[in-house]
Amino acid sequence: MEKPSITASAVINFAEKLEEDSSRFYEELAKRYGQSKDLFLSFAKESIDNKIFVSRTYRETITDAIEACFSFKGLNLNDYKFETTLAEGTSYSDALRKAMELEEKASKFWLDIAEQSASLLATIPRAFRKVAEKRSNRKMKIKSLFKSS
Amino acid sequence: MAVLDEPIKEVLAIKNCIGGEWVESKGELIEVVNPATCKVIARVPISTKEEINAAVEAAKEAFPEWRSTPPLARARCLLRLRELMEERFEELSRIQTMEHGKTIDESRGETRRGIENVEVAAGIPSLMMGYNLEDVAAGIDEYVIRQPLGVFGIIGPFNFPFMVPLWFAPYAVAAGNCIIVKPSSEDPISQAKIAEMTEEAGIPAGVWNVVNGGRDVVNGMLDHPGINGICFVGSTPVGKDVIYRRCGETGKRVISQCGAKNFLVLMPDADIEKTIAACMTSFFGNTGQRCLAGANLVVVGEGLSEHQYEALYDKFVDKFVSVASTIKVGYGLDESVQMGPLRDKKKKERVAGAIQKGVEEGAKLRLDGRKIELAGKWPHDCFLNPTVFEDVAPDMVIGRDEIFGPVASIMRVRTFDEAIETIHRNPFGNSAAIFTSNGKWARDFRYNVQCGNIGINIGLVAPMAFFPFSGMKNSFFGVLHGQGQEAIRFFTESKVVIERWF
Repeated sequence: MEKPSITASAVINFAEKLEEDSSRFYEELAKRYGQSKDLFLSFAKESIDNKIFVSRTYRETITDAIEACFSFKGLNLNDYKFETTLAEGTSYSDALRKAMELEEKASKFWLDIAEQSASLLATIPRAFRKVAEKRSNRKMKIKSLFKSS
Repeated sequence: MAVLDEPIKEVLAIKNCIGGEWVESKGELIEVVNPATCKVIARVPISTKEEINAAVEAAKEAFPEWRSTPPLARARCLLRLRELMEERFEELSRIQTMEHGKTIDESRGETRRGIENVEVAAGIPSLMMGYNLEDVAAGIDEYVIRQPLGVFGIIGPFNFPFMVPLWFAPYAVAAGNCIIVKPSSEDPISQAKIAEMTEEAGIPAGVWNVVNGGRDVVNGMLDHPGINGICFVGSTPVGKDVIYRRCGETGKRVISQCGAKNFLVLMPDADIEKTIAACMTSFFGNTGQRCLAGANLVVVGEGLSEHQYEALYDKFVDKFVSVASTIKVGYGLDESVQMGPLRDKKKKERVAGAIQKGVEEGAKLRLDGRKIELAGKWPHDCFLNPTVFEDVAPDMVIGRDEIFGPVASIMRVRTFDEAIETIHRNPFGNSAAIFTSNGKWARDFRYNVQCGNIGINIGLVAPMAFFPFSGMKNSFFGVLHGQGQEAIRFFTESKVVIERWF
């Protein structure tokens, strides 16, 4: 049985939502855990920048000739969904653990979609890889916070 | 997946834009229907000959001042137009989906290609430069000046309501001409939106006019002595026997881009996975309603034994059918949808008729798009699913004639030379593509095939704005093409000056 493809539009929509949710998540962390407020706020801002960057790249690159509706084969977006709501009373270290999980999932999403679309979507996969790198760096920073907490 | 918000909330009353005024037409109104939902989204007038005459007069009046406006100032108007299009990118794209039916990815792609033409035309100060040579004889210099001609008519097709008029309009206007756009009456909303933006971009009244309608408007344009040239994109019978012939009779310049039957050639060494993705876009993108769409897929067995060829053919066709059967069909504003409806019910019936003809002629129907499965609950009126035939012969109706719908015809040929002969037997010559890893085959294909747009491992051979949109044989009538430098040459006259001072 052939795995169906999904459209670039659906993937970009999901990606935008992922970055918006991530931004809100880090804003919440900044409110609750003052000791790392600046870092969390910088992550929140970076996620909004990521969203703008990827949407802009998609809109500037998309043409009717590229295989936009057939570039992501067998990709299940549900695999990358992440609950970003933080329960009341979550400890700082649990919040960091959740942030690391989020970053793990997000960078995997960005890398997977970059790989899947590499030969079909012109410069769009390069933008995906760039965001994956940023999210991976973010994970390293959270990891070091976690170790020192 | 949820449907994106529709930008058209109430039925629009489309007017004509003549001399900077939005004018109600005296002609009858017809309904513009969203083919996915079957809801009326606009009413468009079938304008009269008098109205086209009024538009020509307005354009003629605006011409002297516009042609003497510095090219840089004209370019700045286009750059402002570009900015406005970027600001309204999403709205413009969704309107195309609503009025035409294409998916949102396809509409955004169309908006982008349209904007690219505006960007390229904004390079007019360089593009329009002439050339010179000193001392062609002692003390005598000679030079060429490019000058605008006056008024041009642009007749758009239904399949790309936003982009196709922009293959011509920004170049004509950048060069100092005035234009009258006649959009397809099936989907005229995009061109009305563009005309609104030209006003905001500072393009003077009368330079960019829009007159909606049908045959009377086209005839009015063709007959009017005040129109210097016509750009047309549409069917071959109209493009050849009406537009090209009448422009010849009345001494108008003409670009007439017409129908197609495009071949994709699969060589035994092609990358199957990537070829399949390219084929899906080519055959089923825009629901097959484009002059660059793949129509015939030729599987070539060059250098293979009978057994090897059968294995390759079966593997490829099975995969092709399997992937085509997963294509999600529905309303294009649902972002998960990969193929939208046909533009209207009549078009669907015509395509369904072609499918039936294929069955009667003995082609093997591997995937029957008449069995409709949709993502979402939409009226079936304009929808078809992808159709795949195999064992199609080039002289069958489905192998020979333009279907303009989501139908793929797969053919067998044993050699590369036979594949080229098969392409050449067809009267059209818009585009052809080869899928191979062999540079020699690719080079021979590019060199020999008589088609205007050649793809090498590219399924949809759509030229960028800075290249001409070519075409040969029954796919193109004229000399110069739309887009890029050729459009600038089309919209300007080369005046030669030979100068001596005593």
